[in-house]
Amino acid sequence: MNLDLSDEQSQILDAAEALLQAEYPLSRLRSGAAEDLTRLVEFGLFGLGLAGEDGSDLLTEALLHARLGRHLLTPSTLAAAVAARLAAQAGDDALASRIADGALPVSAGVATGGDLLLCDAPGATMAVWREGDTLRWGPCDSGAAAPPAGGGLPLTRTPRPAGAATAPSAPWQLLVAAQLLGTAEAALDLSVAYARTREQFGRPIGAFQAIKHHCADMALGVAMVSAQLDFAALALEAGQEDADFQIAALARLAPRIALRNARMAIQIHGGIGFSDEADAHLILKQAHRLGQLLLPADLMALDAPLTPLNRSS
Amino acid sequence: MDLTPSPDDHRFRQRARDWLGANAPRHRAPAGGAGARQAATAWLARCHAAGWSGLAWPRDWGGQGLSADRLLIWYEEYARTGAPSPLDCTFVGLHHAGPTLIALGSEAQKAFHLPRILQGQSIWCQGFSEPGAGSDLASLRTSGRVEGDILVVNGQKIWSSYAEDADYQELLIRTEPGSARHRGLSWVICDMRAPGITVRPIANMAGETHFAEVFYDDVRIPLSNVVGGLHNGWATAMTTLGFERKTAAMALQLDLSVRVERLIAEAGAAPGSALAETLADLRAEAAGLRAMTWRSVLREGGTPFDGSLVRLTFAELAQRVHRLAAELLGPESLLQGPVMTDYFESYSETIAGGTAEIQRNIIAERILGLPREGRA
Ligand SMILES: Cc1cc2nc3c(=O)[nH]c(=O)nc-3n(C[C@H](O)[C@H](O)[C@H](O)COP(=O)(O)OP(=O)(O)OC[C@H]3O[C@@H](n4cnc5c(N)ncnc54)[C@H](O)[C@@H]3O)c2cc1C
Repeated sequence: MNLDLSDEQSQILDAAEALLQAEYPLSRLRSGAAEDLTRLVEFGLFGLGLAGEDGSDLLTEALLHARLGRHLLTPSTLAAAVAARLAAQAGDDALASRIADGALPVSAGVATGGDLLLCDAPGATMAVWREGDTLRWGPCDSGAAAPPAGGGLPLTRTPRPAGAATAPSAPWQLLVAAQLLGTAEAALDLSVAYARTREQFGRPIGAFQAIKHHCADMALGVAMVSAQLDFAALALEAGQEDADFQIAALARLAPRIALRNARMAIQIHGGIGFSDEADAHLILKQAHRLGQLLLPADLMALDAPLTPLNRSS
Repeated sequence: MDLTPSPDDHRFRQRARDWLGANAPRHRAPAGGAGARQAATAWLARCHAAGWSGLAWPRDWGGQGLSADRLLIWYEEYARTGAPSPLDCTFVGLHHAGPTLIALGSEAQKAFHLPRILQGQSIWCQGFSEPGAGSDLASLRTSGRVEGDILVVNGQKIWSSYAEDADYQELLIRTEPGSARHRGLSWVICDMRAPGITVRPIANMAGETHFAEVFYDDVRIPLSNVVGGLHNGWATAMTTLGFERKTAAMALQLDLSVRVERLIAEAGAAPGSALAETLADLRAEAAGLRAMTWRSVLREGGTPFDGSLVRLTFAELAQRVHRLAAELLGPESLLQGPVMTDYFESYSETIAGGTAEIQRNIIAERILGLPREGRA
């Protein structure tokens, strides 16, 4: 047993990171335009779940989604990855490859009342969405633009399609949580970089212990969620008994840590953190969005792997 | 990455479970006094006789040379069985002094001490902290004057756990006159029965007495008891502290997951209640801590300071778990009992072995690269 990345995994992650840095700077989010996913389609991101038994590797995919989360990529990346997988599992290879090729854009959303709120979905005809504690997917009507709170990627409000198919939740939860981990990491990175450069009282604010300890707390959260992500992905991949438990624990941890780190990042930036000009608020809003996509997980209803042994005999 | 246990791993887990189930004491050992030492050494001797002691020690020195994943399995089964906490009077020998001697000791030191430690025949304690040197360990002043082939030691240590029971102490002293901070220190084996040593036990807030103040009045220690080189004690001490973060910490961290499960079983919280939500948070974090523990020993690389992340996560989670257990007792929490003892004891988690504040400084400065504190 080991928890080291393979050389191949490292190479894939490094290549993705280079692409994300070059093509998806956070400044793109200020335009309010829909995300252009062409470069990620070319990278093969949405075909990962289709590669067949050998090539399909949930852990690598989850780690890639953590990178996407770091760069605050549109939740459509989650919808496309999961819909392609669902289509393939349903035996509809043509649909799966149209999604993976980017020919059929898929949006992520959440049901509210009789409607569906879709993230970043101009012209979407297919969606994956959370409806209470159920995950659904299928065709949807293109709707009307709805103004997102505090700006950012566009939202669409559309009538909720009736009779849509349900989808297994575990891979969705894993990938949404991975993106939440990415936002938590983004908040930490941004804060540490700012704490090193911003000076007050003649020194970098990162020399003050209150700021240091905020940053340490953010790192503690990241360390926990990232370890739990590995655990959950490996358990799910291997079909282990405790997979549901590990996913549910991850789904409980990831949004809390992502939101907490985002809040701290705003505080560490001071006035500019509250302004539209720093990126901290973008991270917060992404964490809120992703948090809405995650299904509530009833961790207490599951059996834990490490239970006390009964020695009454 | 791969966490799929092999058939051998499964067999090992079953073997550990069976042995622990049949052999681990069913009753909590006395917390202090002669009974505590006797219980701890009897348990160690029993483990030793069955080939379950020194699990992480190399085979050459009587250990089992187990790999990291086997240690994880062992300590998981250990926790599930409710076997005695490794934090007893055998702890410093098995997890601190022994590994330090294995890494840096002379052949004579190893040959004499290691078998005694492993069989529970000699108890060790740690003498690093002083009244004026706690978090700032490098400001320590207890001195050792070189006189021919002996060191003459004068000064005072404090918070030395199990000093009253101990036969030997890993003692960190200033041996180079006029030296400052990390320079000029030595790590020496101190015979606790040597003339000039006075041990004054100190009770803790749980009412237990397992640490002590130690006074040194012209205590004569052979120079051959220095480990890792004269005036090179800081490096030796860092080696010692590095071991602490590995095997022993692993056991305690994994044990916390099982404690959370016991608490959940006892609490019987109604689904959806505020209590159930609190317990779910603890359960999720205990799962996260377990994943961090596995990762800390099964992943190469990282920084030498990554242990602080796991250590601090454990310390603060443990305190919350014990606090909730105490709260759930209601008025009964005013009375003496094991839950309240554990609760009061848990206050030490964020103090002993580097306070929570110091761990946060380490994480911020050494892992995240924020500016270092100004030092006097
Ligand atoms: C149960 C227990 C067992 C122990 N066993 C042993 C043992 O066997 N051998 C041994 O040598 N020692 C032992 N110790 C001592 C332990 O290592 C020290 O208590 C610890 O290092 C803290 O030192 P201190 O008590 O002097 O507190 P101080 O260092 O005086 O700290 C007081 C407060 O100031 C804060 N503080 C100090 N410096 C800073 C800083 N730079 N930044 C921010 N805050 C700071 C601390 O976090 C703390 O809150 C034990 C302690 C306990 C509680």
